Amino acid sequence: MFSYYLRLALASFRRNPGLTALMIFAIALGIAVCMVTLTSYRAAAHNPAGERGAVLFAPSVDSWDPENSYDKDNKSLAPDLLTYRDAKALYASDIPDRKLITYRTGDIYTRPDKGMDPHYIPTRMTSRDFFGMFDVPFLYGGPWDGKADEGPEPVIVLSKEENKKAFGGENSVGKTLNWKGREFRIVGVLDAWEPMPKFFDVSNGAFHEMEGAYVPFAWGPILELGSHGNTNCWKTETINNFQDFLNSECIWFAAWVELRTSEKQRAYKAYMDNYVLDQKKHGRFPRPLNNYLYDVDGWLKRNKVVEDDNKAMLTLAFAFLAVCLVNTVGLLLAKFLNAAPIAGVRRALGASRRDIFWQHLTESGVVALAGGVVGGILGVLGIWALRAWYGRFVDEAARVLPFDGKNFLIVIAIAVTAGLLAGLYPAWRIGRAAPASYLKVQ
Amino acid sequence: MLSMTNVSKVFRTDLIETHALRNFSLEVKAGEFLAVTGPSGSGKTTFLNIAGLLEPYESGSYKLDGVEVTDLSDDARSKLRNEKIGFIFQSFNLMPDLNVYDNIDVPLRYRRMKAAERDKRITNALEIVGLAARMKHIPAQLSGGQQQRVAIARAIAGDPKLIMADEPTGNLDSLMARQVMDLLEKINEMGTTIIMVTHDPELARRAHRNVQVVDGQITDFKPYEPRTGGEGMRGHGAAVANAGA
Amino acid sequence: MEIRPILSALMRNRAGAILVALQIAITLAIVVNAVYVTQQRLVHIGRPSGMDDQNIFSFWVNTYEKDYDYLGMVNADMALLRQMPGVIDATPMSQMPLSGSGSSTQFYTQPDKKGEKSPANYYLTDDHAVQSLGVKLSAGKTFNASDVEYKPTQEQSWAPVAIISTGLAKALFKDEPALGKTFYDDIGNPIRVVGVIEHMQGSWVGWDKVDRVMLTPRLNPGGSTMYAIRTRPGEIDRVMADVEVALRKRDPNRVIATPIKKMSDMKLQSYAGDSLMAVTLSTVTGLVLVFSALGIFGLATFNVNTRTRQIGTRRAVGARKRDIVRYFMTENWLITSIGVLVGCCLALGAGFWLSTQYQLPRLDLYYLIGGVLGLWVVGQLAAWQPSRKAAKVSPAMATRTV
Repeated sequence: MFSYYLRLALASFRRNPGLTALMIFAIALGIAVCMVTLTSYRAAAHNPAGERGAVLFAPSVDSWDPENSYDKDNKSLAPDLLTYRDAKALYASDIPDRKLITYRTGDIYTRPDKGMDPHYIPTRMTSRDFFGMFDVPFLYGGPWDGKADEGPEPVIVLSKEENKKAFGGENSVGKTLNWKGREFRIVGVLDAWEPMPKFFDVSNGAFHEMEGAYVPFAWGPILELGSHGNTNCWKTETINNFQDFLNSECIWFAAWVELRTSEKQRAYKAYMDNYVLDQKKHGRFPRPLNNYLYDVDGWLKRNKVVEDDNKAMLTLAFAFLAVCLVNTVGLLLAKFLNAAPIAGVRRALGASRRDIFWQHLTESGVVALAGGVVGGILGVLGIWALRAWYGRFVDEAARVLPFDGKNFLIVIAIAVTAGLLAGLYPAWRIGRAAPASYLKVQ
Repeated sequence: MLSMTNVSKVFRTDLIETHALRNFSLEVKAGEFLAVTGPSGSGKTTFLNIAGLLEPYESGSYKLDGVEVTDLSDDARSKLRNEKIGFIFQSFNLMPDLNVYDNIDVPLRYRRMKAAERDKRITNALEIVGLAARMKHIPAQLSGGQQQRVAIARAIAGDPKLIMADEPTGNLDSLMARQVMDLLEKINEMGTTIIMVTHDPELARRAHRNVQVVDGQITDFKPYEPRTGGEGMRGHGAAVANAGA
Repeated sequence: MEIRPILSALMRNRAGAILVALQIAITLAIVVNAVYVTQQRLVHIGRPSGMDDQNIFSFWVNTYEKDYDYLGMVNADMALLRQMPGVIDATPMSQMPLSGSGSSTQFYTQPDKKGEKSPANYYLTDDHAVQSLGVKLSAGKTFNASDVEYKPTQEQSWAPVAIISTGLAKALFKDEPALGKTFYDDIGNPIRVVGVIEHMQGSWVGWDKVDRVMLTPRLNPGGSTMYAIRTRPGEIDRVMADVEVALRKRDPNRVIATPIKKMSDMKLQSYAGDSLMAVTLSTVTGLVLVFSALGIFGLATFNVNTRTRQIGTRRAVGARKRDIVRYFMTENWLITSIGVLVGCCLALGAGFWLSTQYQLPRLDLYYLIGGVLGLWVVGQLAAWQPSRKAAKVSPAMATRTV
């Protein structure tokens, strides 16, 4: 019967092409607006670590000012970054399966053979486990070995883009780059890797550009590499050299630990608390004990990666879709009731209420499907237009507005569901209409 | 074929009650060609709607082909309507956007018949009404008489036991009306029971039997001698007289 | 025109009317709140920066060779830049205003963290900063060349003089004239105000204290600095290209970080979220109004179509064309009014919810009134054509059945 209902729906569209177009367009625009906002929302709300996000944790300890909480709006939050001392201490634990500490810096690199223009490379200081914990794909070579973290050895991993810039994309493993007057040996080149949001460093921007180079963390203090990201300080301290800075209460480091079992998670939390309690004895951590261990999802939420504007726009988009749907319900109702005499004849010829209901619901579904497809296309155009407009001067806007086929399918599914919901009442209503009243006079 | 006993139907609004049928009783035998006559507002359309299972009623008993329909669900009534009854209306009531073939197809679809079976029946019905050449036309391309013949084809395609005709010639000129009546008689001769509602005594005279409804009751129960053919049929070109019935 | 019979006719055909009213209600809630938020954002975006932001561009200059003469480089570059055609002035800067990247720290009116206090967004620059940024001094004067210092490593101290924005001056010294006054950092280093900028925004446009800015006459340490260059109006693109070539030519052994950025683009980028919101909201507002109009139009048209006989009868019993028009217009007005009434509650509810949930400001009632009037007009406009169509129905329809 379904194919028969489809044929009837098409015949019905031919009868009222203008009205049908209006309904399709209404659904399409509602859907398109939802799609654009949903895309940017999903991009922000996405957990790029996937299932692994549940065993990856960011420790957060409240080393902040006794007078003022770190976050004025949410006093219960501990800082989103760590001091050097605390980062080192949290990294020292044996409990985690894997662990890392990291921060963002950067400087001018040169090639010893002058084969590239000296240029600034944003650089991430981190530990070997970074690559394993975050499933970082390699094009050539691999991560440095564990020993290189300790020494530290002058080793470096390049991003795919940076390798293209510095070596024209060839396998550069074994070659060297000069940085801060030292030669760093390339041990690996990453494949394209751009988790969005950039969950492991959201305090510097959830959609901030990726680093071009990765270097063992221990080089930071040796080469006196300052942070090229957020640095926050609260305490009055005399800072006259880099060592003073490292020993200060200023925060600019992040730590991540992999804890595969809940026992380890509890043990690590206890380790954090014990550490802080011990530090209190030395006059640090003046605030009440306030430590957190966030998994990736929790971390993204704590850092409000999904902005209020994102949420407000999504709400608005769905309200708009609601208007479009109410509009469609009204138009469907009018259209169906206008055709009630024909439904009456069908009833006389033996159609049950259910037959009439399904026939009209099918018609609604077809309208919705058409609306979904047109809406999907409009949505793609909308996203494309926004990217073109904002991408001119905002790389981040393009990152926030990716587009994939999955979104398209979601959109069509929403459209059809919405259209069927919209058709529910009109189809029910027309199914209930008494057939006899329409037969006498057409 | 059809047996109504003390059927009553009341229309209620906030202010008034109208007794459309009062203790209406009627027996129709299989193979009969019955004409139901009566003035406007007498209740003959209500009778047709109830007999055609289009409307519920307050009280009484109604058996169609041996089945008591009073307490049947809407679905069961729809099924019964589809299988046992064919309708012919004054204003044809063809689907304006479906062609002749698809119009006849409608009741067969609701019987969930296979495509081959439907096609056989449609072709056969079109042969009977003599419109096989017009199967791809849409109703607007046909004359009134042709449209009514399509409606008759639609009514007989499902091979019903009973055909309910409501002023079948009311919108036709005399020549077309005669063709339609000839066709109905032919169908009746093939064994189908026909109940025709009309307010035209001339038309009623061509039926086997004639009952008159006045104020929701049968007043005249005069069996008619079967007769064939006949001239002097007068159709009604204008429907104004019937408006609001 | 009597409303009662129209109302009772409406009540007998509720579903369609309720749907239109509901649509209008949601539309009102959306439009009012969207327009209000858009307005807020446009005001936010439209705030003056205090600088000649359309004619300034900037870029990083990094040195990388050991024992490179950084100070000599800056002096030579500045001398070159300042005499280039089309350049009004140039200055080294530690960071750029409106860029989203900056530094701030707390200052006090008395030593030992006492007295009034305020955070300030500070920039390390030189005696050409005022001219190069195009800011206006409301008191005092710009730095002398001799004020400009250089400390090769980072240390916690400040040049003894500073130019501060009025925003910072007000925060520290209230209504007293700030010129000549001294303020302190958290370890008690004194800083004397030698100039007050009428108005200037700092690095973070989303910060509520964005207008608290301090310029300090000291070169950025660490061998890297930004150069900010102000051009004559209309010459920025040409000058940008010329500057890059000229600097590379003067000394190729340091890095001019490309792409060179215009301050106007940094400003757009900083406000990108706000303008995206404004664009989205106004687009949705426009669409939702169009759709409500189309919905009203569609339903009115169908109502007219299904009621041709009734209209014909009215005409037959003596209704004039304009009576028919008025009947349908009144009917539409009633539906709109019901929708608007419900919509007011929805709009206020949504506004309240948005303000609690998303820290948006509370809805202003004038917008609600405007929205109500606007929707009445939209409703009447949308119903006009169908009403005219109704008026054209022939009285003969009354007697026709097919």
